[in-house]
Parts: sequence; structure tokens; C-alpha cells
Amino acid sequence: MKYFDIRARMLVAALVPVTLVALLMAVAFLVVRSSDYSAAHSQRARALILQVAAASEYGLFSANISNLHGIAKGAMRDADVRSVLIRDVSGVTMVTGGSPGYKRLPRLDDLEGASFGAVLGADLFWQPVMAVPVPLDDAFEASQGGALPGPALLGQVVIEFSRERLAQQEFRMMAVGLAVSLVGLLLGCVLAVQLGRGVVQPILRVSKMVERIGGGDLTARNQILPHDPLRKLQADLNCMAEGLQLGREDLEIRIRAATAELQQKKDEAEAATLAKSRFLAAASHDLRQPTHALGMFVARLAQLPGPPESCQLVENLEAAIQAMQDLLDGLLDVSRLDAGAVPVNLKAMPLNHLFDTLREAVMASASEKRLRLRVRATSLWVTSDPVLLHRILLNLLGNAIRYTSQGTVLLSCRLSEGGKRVRIEVWDSGVGIAPEHQQDVFREFYQVGNSGRDRTQGMGLGLNIVERTARLLGHPLALRSNPGCGSRFTLELPVAQAQAEPPDGPHTAEPVAQGGLDGLRVLVIEDDAMVAQGLAGLLESWGCEVAVARGKAEALALLPLGRGPDVIISDYRLGRGENGIDVIAALHQAAGRPIAACLMSGDTDQTLIVLAREAGLTLLHKPVRPAKLRSLLRHLAASQG
Amino acid sequence: MALTLLRCLFASWLLLAALPEVCAEPQVVLVSSERGYSYSEAVEAFKRELERAGVNRQNILDRSLDEPIDTTGASLIVALGARAAEQRAAHGSKVPLLCALLPRASFERILQKNGKRTSSTLSALYLDQPIGRQLDLIRLGLPKARFIGLLTGPGSQAELGDFRSAIAARGFQAVVAHVEAGEPLFPGLKTVLDDADVLLALPDPQIYNSNSIQSLLLASFRAKVPMVAFSSAYVRAGALLAVYSTPAQIGRQAAVMALGVLGGRPLPASGQYPTDFSVSANEHVARSLDLDLDAPALNDRLRALERRP
Repeated sequence: MKYFDIRARMLVAALVPVTLVALLMAVAFLVVRSSDYSAAHSQRARALILQVAAASEYGLFSANISNLHGIAKGAMRDADVRSVLIRDVSGVTMVTGGSPGYKRLPRLDDLEGASFGAVLGADLFWQPVMAVPVPLDDAFEASQGGALPGPALLGQVVIEFSRERLAQQEFRMMAVGLAVSLVGLLLGCVLAVQLGRGVVQPILRVSKMVERIGGGDLTARNQILPHDPLRKLQADLNCMAEGLQLGREDLEIRIRAATAELQQKKDEAEAATLAKSRFLAAASHDLRQPTHALGMFVARLAQLPGPPESCQLVENLEAAIQAMQDLLDGLLDVSRLDAGAVPVNLKAMPLNHLFDTLREAVMASASEKRLRLRVRATSLWVTSDPVLLHRILLNLLGNAIRYTSQGTVLLSCRLSEGGKRVRIEVWDSGVGIAPEHQQDVFREFYQVGNSGRDRTQGMGLGLNIVERTARLLGHPLALRSNPGCGSRFTLELPVAQAQAEPPDGPHTAEPVAQGGLDGLRVLVIEDDAMVAQGLAGLLESWGCEVAVARGKAEALALLPLGRGPDVIISDYRLGRGENGIDVIAALHQAAGRPIAACLMSGDTDQTLIVLAREAGLTLLHKPVRPAKLRSLLRHLAASQG
Repeated sequence: MALTLLRCLFASWLLLAALPEVCAEPQVVLVSSERGYSYSEAVEAFKRELERAGVNRQNILDRSLDEPIDTTGASLIVALGARAAEQRAAHGSKVPLLCALLPRASFERILQKNGKRTSSTLSALYLDQPIGRQLDLIRLGLPKARFIGLLTGPGSQAELGDFRSAIAARGFQAVVAHVEAGEPLFPGLKTVLDDADVLLALPDPQIYNSNSIQSLLLASFRAKVPMVAFSSAYVRAGALLAVYSTPAQIGRQAAVMALGVLGGRPLPASGQYPTDFSVSANEHVARSLDLDLDAPALNDRLRALERRP
């Protein structure tokens, strides 16, 4: 359509002047010729009537009808003469020839004249017949003083001249003019089309090439023809395409280089992060062993009777170890989030149950600070991971209690966005966070107003873990706070349909096994002598019979002695490439019966958790809290027995 | 001797002193109607003739009508042409007036208009030829002609009687038709042409004039009736013969008459016809009519007839 437009425009541009010129010339030709014909016609008529008038002079003078008749007959020989009338000075018609078409004769004393179109298809001419004066120039005439007597007018000739032939001539001429114009127009058209093609074709070629370039084909090139009127443009266009192509190639190379560089940088950064995580994991693992042992020793120490000063010291020791264990747990979470090792298990869950659990978890610390803890009951269900959501809210509540010295901490939820989403809110009446710190509080180890890193204020990992976990779950987290006016954290979750059975919560109250541990035979498999000693000492202080093996061989060697162990506690990572799962399996095989067992590990590796679950073993992360260990042992003993 | 010389010188001085006086008072005043060729010719012939007779050229005052004319001391005024004659006649001067170069009819009209008569102080030299001379010419040129056709109008009606008697006196018969003013010429002309052998044109402008002459000549030619006219212009226009006086001939005759007056004689008491004349013929017309005419020979014969050299 676009091409058609160009062609049409070219055609119009070429044809309009040609047509105008042809028309103007035809009109001018017709007008000039027509007026020429008309003038010639009148001239002929005028000449004829003058001739007739001159010839009629004597006939009218002598009233010679036959003479006049001859003259009229002669005039009638002219093909255009329709009628001739000659009348004398008194108005008496002397001779009439032809058939006059006029109704009224001109006045007799009129001078020569003509009336064009007086009669249908004819012109009327009239001419007075005067006596032709012969200059005598003699004294006789001069003596009269110029007053000559006698009427000079002899009569009048009236001739009717037909315009028929004139009309025919004009028609013929018009036809010829029209034909010439048409031929001219036709020639003009042919020329215009030819010339137009010469211009339009190159334009179309240019247009197509530009279209190809516009479409991204920079290899498009037009052939340069020797007679192309747009030769320079074509060449320039080719140059431009070449330049564009080179430019693009250059750009691509540079982008590739930059991308590679960026990728390298990213890889390096990722490697650095991974190294950091590994370092953190390794450090935490390595820290776990002594902390674990320390916990065991202090637990045992606490059981020993001693002076009140010693008791106070032991309590302080326990508090320090608790803090160290919290730090290690936080680092563990961070390293797991860094490694992307946190599995997300989204499902529909009731909020009320979770809220109850949370209330129980923080009730003690709240009442310790004399704060009012309010948890609003709800019947809403949400889609989330129960474990991770619990961790987020627990963190937020812990934070709220930590930074509130008096007043209320509130946990509530409500529907938003027309019932599509649920907003869980944690309010406190604490110190609040200034707007300039509201972004920073989610960074690792960031604490507002704790440059001195007071241990009692936490480590600054909580909100970072909360933010990253919420991001992992896809729950938008928002903070609204002002210094002195408290804070409000809001978590947005998709709402879920209520279901019949409430799913198992992470903190489902385990059936607490009753009974003591006296006489429980425990096989401790641990390659770290200090940890083994601490654990064995603690277990023995609880009344257990403890056997310690450093590896698989020692454990198997211990098996035939006595009745065999009731419970096996094994470290996962043992010396000489052995691991706890294999050793426990080997012991089961050797004993020919299943023995209750649990794994302990300083590793935070997710694969280990999976492996332990597959093997049906409980995994305890070092440092293991003595109370938790005791509870587990009771449970295992109960299941065993 | 010296005294005689002194006397001569004194006489010469007196003569020279008197000369302006002579020039200031002309003897003859010529008044022309206009400064045309005919008038100049007549004036020149007049002056030469007077000069020949001893009159100083300076004593002839030559004026046309549109110039101031002073006739003080003149012995004679010569008016050339009808207009000059009319003006001078109306002036009422005591100086004798000779009218020349005008048709007789015009002169008579002037006399009538001014209530005057031809006298020793008012006379004329006509332009017309006497009818007898014309009839003589017809006799010499067209010996076979017997019937003389005359077409008269209001201006020639009065002389018809004279014409008739002159025609009869020479043995011809008159065929006469009269045309009143405003009437068509042709019916009368046809009557004349039907019977006459020759058409004698009369100086009557009501009938014969520039406008009518073409048709008259054509009609007479068709009727094979030759026209004998009174002026060379008619011969040039197609008349067969004409006897007429040239302006020079008139001028010379007027000079003779003036000399008479200067010599103390009175002007002739009646109008004079010109004595000198010329004859001319249209050879083409003559050939067409199968006639053989020799104008100079006719002129000589006519002169001989009137005993003129």
C-alpha cells in the first residue's frame, strides 16, 4: 500500500502538469481557431455583401430587376448564403433570393451592420447601397459650396448567412483538437509512467533495504546500478548498513566480554560468599564440639553439691553457655539460609494453634519483664510453612519483648485485600526505631544503639533471619515505627480454606516420658575424647551405665560384653572416614536387633538431616542442651522398653 | 553738366521716394475663393498677361478669402470662384468687380441674392461654354447625331428656351426630360436616352454631380448614347467629349478685361462667355462606341469655326 502510494504520487506529480498543459493548449487552440473561423466567416460575409451592394448600385439606380436578380442569384451561389434581399431607397423589395428566416428587416437608413445569431443558425448582414461618388474636382461643383443634391442612398442589401458550415468546421476542429490532446495526454502518461518508474524503482529498493535494516537484518545491501538516479543514496545506505553491522558486532563482542567479566565477578562473589558460609559452618561446627562438651561439664558441675558461691558461678556459666548456644543457633540459621539449604514446605495451617504455641514460648520472658502479652485468638487459616512461620513470629515476639521495658506486646491477625490475604501483626510499646534505621535493622549483626555490642541485647541476627525467611516464603514484611511510640511488624500471607484436621505443629507437645534413667545402658560413640568424657560424665551423673567407643571397631568389640546397650548415642562424623549412621547400622546388624539410637552432630548440613530421617534416627545438633538430651533419652528408653 | 547730373539724381530720388506710394496702392486686387491648383493657375495667367501689358506685378494684390483684403485705391477687384464673388458682391465696394471662374448659374444666383444687376462696375466672365459652341462640337465630332438629349433640373430649367432655339437653329432636334429636385433621375434619363443620339450634359449640379455621374454615364453607355460634357473631369469620368476653358484661359481673358478697365473703359454690361477653350475626348469611350475622335483636331476645327487662331 505504501509503495502504491509512492507510485500514485509520482504518477499524479507527472500527470497533473501534462494534463493541464494538454488541456490549456487544447482550449487555447480551440478558442483561437474558433475565433479565426468566426472572423473569417464574418469577413467573407462582409466581403460578399459589399460586393453585392457595389454590384447593385446601377441595378438600383436604374430599377433594373433582371440585373438585380442576376446579382442575387450570383450571391446565392455561395454555399453559406441562405437568403438575399435587395430593396430600393423607398423600401420596396426589388429582389429576393432563397428563403429568408428572419421576421423583421433592419431599418433602411441603417449603416452597414450585422446581427449574429439573429436567426437560428444564421447571421444577418445588411449593407446600404450608396452611389459611388466620382471626384470631379471642377469649378462647377465647387461653385455649389459642397452641398450636393440628390440622395446618395440607393437601397439596401440584406443577406442571411448560414453558420452551418462554420459549426461543422468548429466541430471538426474540436474533434481534431480533442484527438491531439488525447494523444498528447497518452504520450504524457506513457512518459510519466516511464520516468516515474525510473524514480520509483530505486526509491522502492531503498525503502525495502531500510525496512530490512529496520527489521534487524544488517547484512542487507543494495546493488549499485550505473544508471540509478539514487546511486549516491544507495551507496551511502550500504555504507550505513555496513557501519551499523560493524558497530553491532563490536557491541556484541563488548557485551559478551562485559557479561563474561560480570559472570566472573559474580562467580567470585558467590565463591566468596560460599567460602564465608563454609567458614562459618566450619567455625560453628568446630565451635560446637567444645561448647557441647562445656555444656555437658557445666551440667554435671551443677549437679555436684558445693558452696553457694560455686552454685552462683555455675549459674553464670550456664547463662554464658546458653548465650553461646543461641549465637551458634543464629549462625546456623544464617548459614543455612545463605546456602539455600532451608526447605520450604507450604501448606494450609490454622493460625490459632501457632499463636498458642508462641504464647507459651514467650510467656515466661514477658512476665519476667512484667510486660502484658496479648495474643488475639483467630480462626483463620493461612498457606505457609509452619516451622519457618513459627521461627519468624518467635523472633519478632522475642525482639518485641527484648526492646520493650513496659507496656504491651500484641500478636494479632486480620483479613485484608477483600479477604484474600491475612496480615499478622506484632505490636509493641517499646523504644521504636527511627525512620533512618528502619532499612538497616534487617541487616546482619545490625543493632540500633548497641555499638558496644551488649550481649544481653542479642546479636542482631534475628531480624535478618526474619526478613530472609519471609522473603523465602514470599510473605511481604513491613515495619512501621517511630522512636518512643513502639513498633509494628506486619507479615502478609495468603489466606487458606479451613480444613478438618489441624496439621502437626513443630512444637507438638511430645509425650513426656516418665521415669528415671537409672541403669539405662548407653553406648556413646564419639571420636572426640573431651566431648566423650563430658557426655559420659553427665550420663553417669544421671545414673546411666555408660560405655564409650571411639569408632566402629571399638563399638563392635564392646557389643558382646554383657547385655548390650539400651540406647546408642553416636556422633555423626567419626574418625577414619566412619560416620554414625553406618556404625549404628552395623551395630544393629551385629546385635541382631534394633537398638534405640540417636545422632549428634556439629554439622548443619541439610543432607545430614535428610540422611538421619531416612535412617529413622533422631538428630541432635551440638551443642545439645542437657535437658533436651535427658528428655530424648527418656523418650528413647520408653520406646525401647 | 554737373547741374544736369544733379537734376537727374534729384529726379531719381524723387522717383525712389514715390515708389512705396505706388506699391501701397495696387491697381488690381485678386480675390481667390481658395488657394487650389485651378486658382493658382488662373492667378498666374492673369498676372502674366497684365505684366505683358506693362502693369507692374507689385500693383496686383493677390489674396484669398481667408486673408485680410485692403482694396483702398484699387481700380478693379477680380473675384475668382463663386465664394469670392459672393463675398465681394455682398461687400458693396465702389470699386468695379469682375467675377470670373464661376458658372453662369452661380453668378445669376449672386445677383439675385444681392438685388444687383450686371453693370459697368459688376460683371462676370462665366465658366460655362456657350451652347452654340457645344452644339458645334457635336456637329464636328458626331456628324450623325440628330437628336440632342437634354436632362434639365431646377438649375437649368430657365435656359431651356435658349437651348431649344439654339438646337433648332443648328438643325438638331431636342429630346428633353425634366427632373424635379428629389425625384429619381432614371425615369427621365431613360426617356432621353431612348430617343436621343447624344446626351448633352448641362452644368446643373442638381442633375450632374459627383454622386450621380457614375450612374448617368453607365446608363448612357449602356444605351449607347454618348455624353458630351462641359468639363475635362467628365471626360475623365467617362463622357465622350467636352469643350471647356482652362483656368489659365479664363485668367488670361480676365486680364484682358482688367486691362480694359485700367485703360479707362467700363466693364462689359453683360456677363461674358469665355472666348478661349479646349476640347478633350475619352478615347476609350470612343473606341467602345466605335468612334474615331481626335481631340486636338476637333479643337482646331472648332477654333477655326469661331475664327480663332
